[in-house]
Amino acid sequence: MSLIAAVTQHRELLWNLASRELKLRYRGSVLGFLWSVLIPLGMALIYVFFLRLLGGRGVPLADVIIGVFAWQFTVQCVNSGLNSIAGNANLVKKVSFPRIILPLSATLANTITYAMSLIVQFPLVAILFHTTGNHFSAWLWLLPVVIAVHLIFNLALALFLAGINVVVRDAQHLVGILLSAWFFVSPVMYNLDFVTRHAEKYPWAPKLFFLNPLTVIITAYRSVITAEIPFPREPMALVSFGLIVLLFVLSYRLFQKLQKDFADLL
Amino acid sequence: MPTPAIEVENLGKSYRLRGIAKASLREMLIRGWKQQQSEIFWALRDVSFTVPRGASVGVVGPNGSGKSSLLGLIAGTITPTTGTVRTHGVISSLLELGAGFHPDLSGRENVFLNAAVLGIPREDVARRMDHIIEFSGLRDFIDMPVRNYSSGMYVRLGFAVAVEMNPEILLVDEVLAVGDLAFQMKCLERIRNFQKQGKTILLVTHDLVTVEQFCDDVKLIHQGSLVAQGNPNDVILTYLKTYMARIGHLNVEEHGTREVEIKDVRLLDRSGKPATTFTTGQSMTVEIHYVAKKRIEQAVFGFSLKTGNGFFIFGTNTQIMNVPVPPLEGEGTVRLKLDPLSLMEGKYFLSLSVHSWDHATQYHRLEDWYPFSVKNESTAEGVFHLPCTWQITPGT
Repeated sequence: MSLIAAVTQHRELLWNLASRELKLRYRGSVLGFLWSVLIPLGMALIYVFFLRLLGGRGVPLADVIIGVFAWQFTVQCVNSGLNSIAGNANLVKKVSFPRIILPLSATLANTITYAMSLIVQFPLVAILFHTTGNHFSAWLWLLPVVIAVHLIFNLALALFLAGINVVVRDAQHLVGILLSAWFFVSPVMYNLDFVTRHAEKYPWAPKLFFLNPLTVIITAYRSVITAEIPFPREPMALVSFGLIVLLFVLSYRLFQKLQKDFADLL
Repeated sequence: MPTPAIEVENLGKSYRLRGIAKASLREMLIRGWKQQQSEIFWALRDVSFTVPRGASVGVVGPNGSGKSSLLGLIAGTITPTTGTVRTHGVISSLLELGAGFHPDLSGRENVFLNAAVLGIPREDVARRMDHIIEFSGLRDFIDMPVRNYSSGMYVRLGFAVAVEMNPEILLVDEVLAVGDLAFQMKCLERIRNFQKQGKTILLVTHDLVTVEQFCDDVKLIHQGSLVAQGNPNDVILTYLKTYMARIGHLNVEEHGTREVEIKDVRLLDRSGKPATTFTTGQSMTVEIHYVAKKRIEQAVFGFSLKTGNGFFIFGTNTQIMNVPVPPLEGEGTVRLKLDPLSLMEGKYFLSLSVHSWDHATQYHRLEDWYPFSVKNESTAEGVFHLPCTWQITPGT
């Protein structure tokens, strides 16, 4: 069954599972949804503080906030995708429906949280721009496109990890380490200027940097939001975009190939 | 011929013995080096059958025989290793009640979630919410997290949702084993309704009485193979005979010198017709055709009865009862009449033997060889049906 057919036929299930995820995420906590804003915000402040302490001035707070919110979106998709099949053994073993609904619903729930956190992020960035004299970019209307590309990338990761984690259970442990490494090689708490400045002797380094899809995605966010940040006319960025599409296709295929054994392996 | 509801062809499902658990990276690396040495276990092998539309089919067999695998394969939760399953029509399974229930969500929230899992449209659930709550009998608890439910409440809510399904094919797996008696009656009633509406039902259960009452066809599965199918009574008797023998309560066997051989045995009901089911309080006749290969003086014919679980009930012979047996030579017939049959409802096994007067030579013995079932048409209860009469004299 194709992806679109699965989604349209089982949209009620998809939505119900996503809303279960959302309802449960903050059930019992006093601040509820606010946590999905407070966590990245707190992280952004910490990074900026220590970055200034260690690396001197350079990375604007607005850049870090945009970076950390986007990073959080990916991290949550990775973590919930990882457990979307393994954590629903009961459903997978007992009920027949396209298994892809599970990672899809987890990603959908995260997308909704992210969209809501963006609504809070927006006025924050506006205030910061006001104090620093920055302006919103004229390309702001492209924000949904950036979010869509980011979503495809996250979904690819979720599908890949959901399938792999059923077959090789080491995946969940490995992912923890890889995430920490990935955080540092992605421009989350720093930006492209920061990289160029620190890699003056190696002009090819920033190009290589673009092979990381998150570099393209986070930089795209910053450039469609902030007037002063142009989107780098870098051919490697196109390669990276191609990588995202390729990763999605491969992950989808892998998931479909693995899913017939899910009930046996759980 | 109309399209059948379920077509199963050469269906097989195998598991790697060590691969049933999740593989770790280390295991995968090792397996990569030692190319696929793990042993294979066939949970189900070469099973083929078709279920016509509107039929009610029971699936019986000992634990671990592959019944649940079969249902999972038909439901589509597991992928066949070999063969194919084709189903025609919307299929729903009562494989587990409350699938997808989350302990932290309220009963009401779980109803919607569970309905989505079972493929029931949201509008239907919203419209029928009151009815669902009523049916489950949980009106006061419906907004409480199901974490605080008792297991009975949990199942009742799950069932209340499940009965809102409107499938063409219904798969039921041991659901009837949970819940109290009242709940079981509700389940059975609901399944009967499905039956009346001409839905196809596949029922897996250990409750042989239910199978016999409900189904027009029974499949007996043993060690992954379909060993018998057809008439419920016959298949259940075969099941009891082979399986109960295997676990040691019965010893289905045949031995003896065969100087006198029991050739053909027929169990006849009150009207003299061969039968496998008899009625409490009516007569049962056992007709034994024998062949004596040489002249045998003073042979003794005997019989005994055991229940389906191997409990010895009664045994006697012509010697004990002082029945004269003429010298046997060539063919002949012995008739044993039990009138009235005082056994209550259940499955029984008949053993027959013919031996010498001094018990030194066993000519032919058929131990637990002939299964039959008894139906009780009255509502009298107990272990035996005792012939009794009442005499009431008012006043003194």
